[in-house]
Amino acid sequence: MRAEPGVLGVFADLTRGAQAIRALRAAGHSDIRMASPAPFPELVEALGRPRSRLDSVTLSGALLGVAAGFALCIGTAIAWPLLTGGKPIVSVPPFVIIAFEVAVLIGAGVNLVALAVTVGRGRRRRPVPFDPRFSADRVGVFVVGGNLGEAETILRKNGAEEVRRVA
Amino acid sequence: MSTGALSAREIQAKVLATQGRPGAIHTLLIAVAGAAAALGAWCWSVQIRVGLQVSGLNRPVGWAVYITNFVFWVGVAHSGTLISAVLFLLRARFRTAVYRVAEAMTVFGVMTAGLFPVIHLGRPWFAYWLFPYPNERHLWVNFRSPLMWDVFAVSTYFIVSAIFLTVGIVPDAAALRDASAGWRRRFYGFFAFGWRGTDEEWRHYARAYLYFAAFATPLVFSVHSVVSWDFAVSILPGWHSTIFPPYFVAGAIFSGIALVVTLLVPLRRVLHLESLITSWHLDMTSRVVLLTSLIVTYSYILEYVLAFRGPPSDERSTLLYRATGPFAPLFWIMVACNCVFPLLLFLRKVRARPAALLVICILVNVGMWLERFVIIVTSLSHDRIPFDWWGMYRPTFVEAGITVGSLGWFFFWFLIFVKLLPAVSISEMKEAAVEGVEDAG
Repeated sequence: MRAEPGVLGVFADLTRGAQAIRALRAAGHSDIRMASPAPFPELVEALGRPRSRLDSVTLSGALLGVAAGFALCIGTAIAWPLLTGGKPIVSVPPFVIIAFEVAVLIGAGVNLVALAVTVGRGRRRRPVPFDPRFSADRVGVFVVGGNLGEAETILRKNGAEEVRRVA
Repeated sequence: MSTGALSAREIQAKVLATQGRPGAIHTLLIAVAGAAAALGAWCWSVQIRVGLQVSGLNRPVGWAVYITNFVFWVGVAHSGTLISAVLFLLRARFRTAVYRVAEAMTVFGVMTAGLFPVIHLGRPWFAYWLFPYPNERHLWVNFRSPLMWDVFAVSTYFIVSAIFLTVGIVPDAAALRDASAGWRRRFYGFFAFGWRGTDEEWRHYARAYLYFAAFATPLVFSVHSVVSWDFAVSILPGWHSTIFPPYFVAGAIFSGIALVVTLLVPLRRVLHLESLITSWHLDMTSRVVLLTSLIVTYSYILEYVLAFRGPPSDERSTLLYRATGPFAPLFWIMVACNCVFPLLLFLRKVRARPAALLVICILVNVGMWLERFVIIVTSLSHDRIPFDWWGMYRPTFVEAGITVGSLGWFFFWFLIFVKLLPAVSISEMKEAAVEGVEDAG
């Protein structure tokens, strides 16, 4: 994935990386991206990105699972209405168990698909230049658009050990 | 990067070092596990060719070692999700270093458990009858049967646990991909799914992981409750009890955490992970073993109190038979292993000694296997139907071979896993180290 033109700062200290992000935002830079070996809360907070909206998709998957579980149990019970042990043909309490299991199964499956789709889309829309150090022990702060000269100065001033232009 | 006890690079280097060529001991262990699995496969093939008469199963004991193994392996599988999901939601920090091993144990435990209902069938080629599909007579499975709940519960548990494990590995696989070369780079690249560690990826990943944990948490409690209903929903004295679901769940967590400790103690030594899986992690994990031991002990006592309250009953007769009949030695070994030896974990110096922990946790595993055996076999052998009378059960060589084979099957996959994929979560360890969590130890 080719990143857009911008300035990349590499930080050894994540507190300084977070400071740089805050300073860039204060200076009016709106498209700030980051790559790090872990989801450090300090950096996530500094970026101020909105929370992921996987919730509604995942919840819909789970609700679909509840409906599918009940539909399977009730539909098959009615399709072959065999009385056993004096229990009603549509015995709701045991069907709750199946509905719960199917809800978890489909909910988790939808969550996985939603994760794959959103991560893939995010990678295309907000790429960050690849550097193997970002999965090891360095934090990359990437600024796209705006006054790149100013961004470079802010990154250096906040302790970036390396700053480079990405064409 | 500034961190606590170890730097992020040191953490990565330590985990990467575990991924090299297996040493002589590791290779030998894989070979032994593979040989045990092969023995089990051969014994199963004998049973398939000759029939179930090669097992000790007969009236009235129609469920025995195979179902014991099924319940045992489903049980040990529980702690993985407990540690990775429940303790994640509870923000218990000691889980960080141990949860990957527990998750892997969960997946391989369910893989092992899933074999036993099929082995127990006698005619395994009809196993697909368990799954809901409209056959040529439009006859569907019976969703009112606990056995069918089991199929759904265990299948769901396996799939969700496998997804949880795989998703958790993604950032770590990316870290190892970027630090490796050759086929390992391609191998880790496959599991990394193109991960770059960008803020956009972490944003969605953190949310999705939370939801996986939220889905997996009720599964921990539901799956073994469903397994307990295989017994409790029947009307057999010794099985027909309302305390079974919490009793089974506590027992499952107890045996599972004990197996986690059993795996962690040698693993941290062999893979030189003592600085990542510290004595603090073992101490905290063994406290969970102690807690669940007390819950299990309470359940044992409660079972007898309930049976002895009121007039004499079949329940009381069965429980007396369990504690004083021909299976009594197994019952009392179970009590010693599950209720007495774990009390040593109240002593801080015992919790601080990995060798002592290992011995206690192995005894707990023996005790928990016996618990399932005692519940299943003593209740069935103490029958009340006149033409069956009481029947002794003795496992045959085939059943023993398949049981040993299940151990081999489990350890074979586990030993391969720890050499191919990280046994400790690199990204979470880095996060914890930056936050100075290790200092808490």
